Amino acid sequence: MPPSNRCGTASTNKLMLKVTIAKPASLKDLYKTLARTPGPRKFLAGGTDLCVSARHGAGVPCNWLDISDIPELQAVKISGKTIQLGSARRLHDLENSPLVQRWLPALHKAMPHFASPPLRQMATLGGNCANASPSADGVCALCAEGAKAVIRHPNGKQTLLPVEKLFTGPKKTILKQDELIVRFEIPKTGHRGSYQKLGARRALAISKIALAATAWLDGNIITDIRIFLGAVGPTVLRACKTEAALRGSALGSEKSLRQAAELIASECSPIDDQRSTARYRRAMSPVLLERALAELREERL
Amino acid sequence: MKKPSSKNVKRTDNAAIQLNCVVNGQKVSKTINSGLTLLEFLRRELGLTGTKEACGQGECGACVVLVDERPVNSCLFMAAQAEGKKILTVEGLRKNGELHPLQKAFVAEGAVQCGFCTPGFLMTSYALLKSNPKASREDIVQALSGNICRCTGYEKIFAAVEQVRDGKYK
Repeated sequence: MPPSNRCGTASTNKLMLKVTIAKPASLKDLYKTLARTPGPRKFLAGGTDLCVSARHGAGVPCNWLDISDIPELQAVKISGKTIQLGSARRLHDLENSPLVQRWLPALHKAMPHFASPPLRQMATLGGNCANASPSADGVCALCAEGAKAVIRHPNGKQTLLPVEKLFTGPKKTILKQDELIVRFEIPKTGHRGSYQKLGARRALAISKIALAATAWLDGNIITDIRIFLGAVGPTVLRACKTEAALRGSALGSEKSLRQAAELIASECSPIDDQRSTARYRRAMSPVLLERALAELREERL
Repeated sequence: MKKPSSKNVKRTDNAAIQLNCVVNGQKVSKTINSGLTLLEFLRRELGLTGTKEACGQGECGACVVLVDERPVNSCLFMAAQAEGKKILTVEGLRKNGELHPLQKAFVAEGAVQCGFCTPGFLMTSYALLKSNPKASREDIVQALSGNICRCTGYEKIFAAVEQVRDGKYK
């Protein structure tokens, strides 16, 4: 028997989750509700991962605070030189946002690869990060975009942290109970971006391997590049050596591509699992890099 | 549209909540267990069994309903999250006793075989044509990529949606 403060499903009805849900109307209301909700608690955003885990009785806390409609978590806007994306904004809205399309090309291109259209009507970037799957498409793209998470602590203090620093392992983050990602902040720089993914099919596939890249060019020379890999390590991985090899080289140079292709395979640390093998994943990393560089080259700003 | 308010979601006991929403145009106000998914709420509490459960984990799309015009997987959408929202299920497509053009097209074009996935396909197609009345074949294929059908091979479903888009069914 699981401890009573963990959810699961009632034996007579597998769709009835043993959870209590409160739905605060604002961020202020959230913290008031939080104070009178017994622990352990969990934030409910899109629910697309949480409800599945809860149904399988995977030790999920049974007191949920529904943050999906909190207005302060819905922003999609430019503030000075920063783009703000609310943590509970539905992915469908981001996918169709001209602002995301114009300024966050890797994130924009990742969206069609993310789960399915109805799931994107529910799922959120905040949830994608908090769930911390190493294959999370939203996480990989956010990292390539150089996004920082604004984390609100229960005492009202807020801290800013690069998204890639949130993760400590598969399904593990540095977030403590009641710490909430309220939004993501991304510098508005006008860069190019690409998102490449291999899955069993086009929709509803969890990545065998994914690669997100963003690049800043001076003419044809790569002045800066960020490359992140999904599903080939315990967390999303940054391909630092590959980036270094490409910086300063011409986009499309055969020599730097060959060197980068060797490096990226060495930077993966994949495993065999139900979706793919370590060998295949490693072998595909240069393929995705090559496709990403080709896309970056073709893209017109 | 009224904003969700925590005042409306008073807890009457540990897990019970008062849920107010609009289902197929009718106001609904019920005390429910907050562990209910929207799917179970519709089927068990309201007897709207047109919406089906198949995979129960968002993979198949059989349970798609519209929540404030968004097609969502109701097996992963908690009923408590529907507070203050408008829900449309397959039962709500019919107007004045007459089938919706999509329903007529699905029947006439042979887009239904066993029929279990059909309500989900209808709701996703309905949402697509509402937001994009000129949806291309590629738009239709994309929009329906979260719905699985094991019988038809999809071609007749895509064709049926195209026929409705082209105004062949009224």
